[in-house]
Amino acid sequence: MTLAPKLDPAVWQPEIEIIPYRLDNGLQLFVLPDHRVPMVSLQLHYHVGSRFELQGITGISHLFEHLMFRGSETLGPEEFSRILQAKGGEINAFTTRDHTSYFENLPAEHLELGLQLEADRLANLKLNDENFQTERQVVISERKLRSVDSPFGLVLEQLFAGAFTQHPYQWPVIGWDQDLKRMSLRECLSYYQTYYHPGNLTVVVAGDAEPDAARDLVDRYLGKLPSPGPPRPLIVQEPPQRGERRAVLKKVSQVEALFAGFHIVGMDHPDIYPLSLLAIILSGGKSSRFYQEFVRPGRAVEMEAEIAPPPWTSEDPDLMVMTAIAAPGQPLPQLEEDLWAALARLQKDGAQPGELARAQKLLRAQAARGLSQNFYRGLLVGLFHLKTGDAGRVNQLLKLYEAVTLEDVQRVAQQYLREDNRTVVTLKPVSPEESQALGEMV
Amino acid sequence: MAEYIPEIHQAVLPGGMRLLGVEYDRVPWLSLTFMAKRGAEADPPAKGGVADWTAEFLTLGTRKRTQLQLATDIEARGAALSARGGWDATLVSLEGLAEDLPELMATLAEVVQTPAFPAEEFPLLQDRRAAELAHLLDDPRELANRRFTRLFFGDAAYGHPVTGDLETLEAIGLEDLKKFYHREFTPGDSTLVVVGMAPFARMQEEAGKLWGGWQGGGPASAPYTQAPERLCSPGVYLLDRPDLTQSEIRLGHLGLPRSHPDYFPLRLVNYILGEGGFSSRLMTRIRSDLGCTYGIRSTFHFRRAPGPFVISTFTPGAQTALVVKEIKAVVQEVMENGITEQELAEAQSYYVGHFPLGLETPRHLGSRVVSMDLYNLGWDYLRRYRERIQEVTLSAAQEAARKHLQPDALVALVVGPAAQCAKDLEGLGPLEMIS
Repeated sequence: MTLAPKLDPAVWQPEIEIIPYRLDNGLQLFVLPDHRVPMVSLQLHYHVGSRFELQGITGISHLFEHLMFRGSETLGPEEFSRILQAKGGEINAFTTRDHTSYFENLPAEHLELGLQLEADRLANLKLNDENFQTERQVVISERKLRSVDSPFGLVLEQLFAGAFTQHPYQWPVIGWDQDLKRMSLRECLSYYQTYYHPGNLTVVVAGDAEPDAARDLVDRYLGKLPSPGPPRPLIVQEPPQRGERRAVLKKVSQVEALFAGFHIVGMDHPDIYPLSLLAIILSGGKSSRFYQEFVRPGRAVEMEAEIAPPPWTSEDPDLMVMTAIAAPGQPLPQLEEDLWAALARLQKDGAQPGELARAQKLLRAQAARGLSQNFYRGLLVGLFHLKTGDAGRVNQLLKLYEAVTLEDVQRVAQQYLREDNRTVVTLKPVSPEESQALGEMV
Repeated sequence: MAEYIPEIHQAVLPGGMRLLGVEYDRVPWLSLTFMAKRGAEADPPAKGGVADWTAEFLTLGTRKRTQLQLATDIEARGAALSARGGWDATLVSLEGLAEDLPELMATLAEVVQTPAFPAEEFPLLQDRRAAELAHLLDDPRELANRRFTRLFFGDAAYGHPVTGDLETLEAIGLEDLKKFYHREFTPGDSTLVVVGMAPFARMQEEAGKLWGGWQGGGPASAPYTQAPERLCSPGVYLLDRPDLTQSEIRLGHLGLPRSHPDYFPLRLVNYILGEGGFSSRLMTRIRSDLGCTYGIRSTFHFRRAPGPFVISTFTPGAQTALVVKEIKAVVQEVMENGITEQELAEAQSYYVGHFPLGLETPRHLGSRVVSMDLYNLGWDYLRRYRERIQEVTLSAAQEAARKHLQPDALVALVVGPAAQCAKDLEGLGPLEMIS
């Protein structure tokens, strides 16, 4: 059967067309034209996240993300969202350790409105005490939801707090409760002035837009705003870990669990590719080692080796996190021993060729699926630029994964999954009475 | 503007099963969904979870391949097999690269048509499900959702979580799964949806070869279409969890079936009430004005029979009663005084403008086609969608709000620390403690 070329997988080109522009004030723009649906994803990635915070103001990046929706000199609280949503837009934002990203997935004809409103809140944000107090309460509630009352939120916080002694990845993006309560509007203003300007901003327009026209629009609204230049680069290194660290957290829980974090690399390091494949070999899918050994026979509710693959990998070296949730009645110490044994086997014998091929094809498939969305295409380009300075690398991703060998996988397993390089936090279930006797959870 | 509303190709295969296909050319992806048009509502009494367990069991071995062989072969192609029971339908899906179309289509057919029901897998499934269900109790949001379903519908067909409950887990046996399969998986009440980078002629040719001879079982259970006669009495119900710092709150009453003619007006009203994020009245009041929560949402679950209307949020324990009271006041206000012309216009332009995003990926398209078929929405549904949104008048929306919002019928469930909220909740009316 002869296929219409557009419906023939063999002729598909995975490359993203990337048109870069740099405006006079330092703003970096990428336009990724694609006209399949009449929508654009407008993304503003500010290079600031919890990594740029200090003790005492942890959580300020995320709180600030909330404040960006609280109005400008001309718009009331949340009016930004209302106006764009009324045009069919999907509006949201997220804060990570490395960046704060705002996005609008909009009908293409409203790109200009999106830019106009983004420029307005960048230049004329209304920061007053009333907005600040309301949003602080919202964030405190969000912290209780995500960290305190969630099954493993506090355990994960303790894991990162233990694994990082000097690097700011030691605190959670949402911030410590104490800091959220004591933070001032003044500190937010100072943060805004330092990090919210075109010199610290990457803009992406992905979708149904003509590159030069999009550039002109971005220039019209964001090109005239002043910039003090990029903030001073933050260079901070976590010293190598010299021995296992362990902690216990007691809370009301139906299950015992263990979280282990191994220091690995950041996004700019080539080992991120074999490490991503290693994580899939261990626990990706129902043919994986962990699923077959632990989950399928009902020993563990969950047994995962997690790594944030590019473009979600953090800028600085992160942790690979192993999660072991014991099934009720299954002893956690035995599960832990068997987990380390599973890692030791991989270190000693390496992976099978079939396992690596499977992991590589899985990543290729995920990449193909992701490229069906303007939003994801935009994130890939924007975040690669922001974290590595090399947006073009997104078009090398498949090759980078395909180049990984069995030797690479075994080497990274040996190099990173070492006892001395890990931090382990176990969750020990207690009764509600015991939990209360241990003091308030915050 | 590109033509982004796809053609939905149809065919009836020799065995009587319907095939729906959408050609998709943006990325070389293939999304396959087999749908049996009966789901968790057809679970046997006191055996909630059978549809969902049956779906998973199909993936645990066929006459040709064991669980491990199946998973290895599928994942070697970078594909993913998933199966679940839902309300009104049970779905088995396989997604992967379009270059593997013949293998993926053959694998889905093998899984659905020739399950081996291996006895040795059943105790493993039971253990996994028991562990998962125990673990779910640690998540207050999940606990509140599940408990609300049970509280609100009681013994009715929609009255259990689709994945089942710890209490009923022991009651389910392998025979129940086989019976469900042999009853509900039948060509006349099933559809295969294919979205991907392939011409429809090819999809049809492969599907014809693979499914043409499938006899299946049957007859399927009678479709469940009527609301139960008895529901939970309105009031406030409190499940004490002293270890929590916040309360999870659910308020709801009976909603409408998907076939109800007020579907579009009510979607728009509900966007304004609580589905439209920061454009909604509930978000404005509870989050933006009061700072009492991070998020709040209201949803009409439109199903074959009337599903629930549910408002979900959470708040620090001490603010629980205030939030329950304020939510009721917002629902009352919208019911009594309706919505404004501007709110309606904005809700309409949201749905119209947002529409193409829901057609962007093969998965989006697949789920649209699945629900069009399941609920008989008509094959012109996508083409007429924006028109139907736009033709809703203010008076029709007001009427829908008056008829279908029932603040006095609200059942409120709080899962939270009683020590911090019970006293204030008593001030709202009779309070019942539940376990």
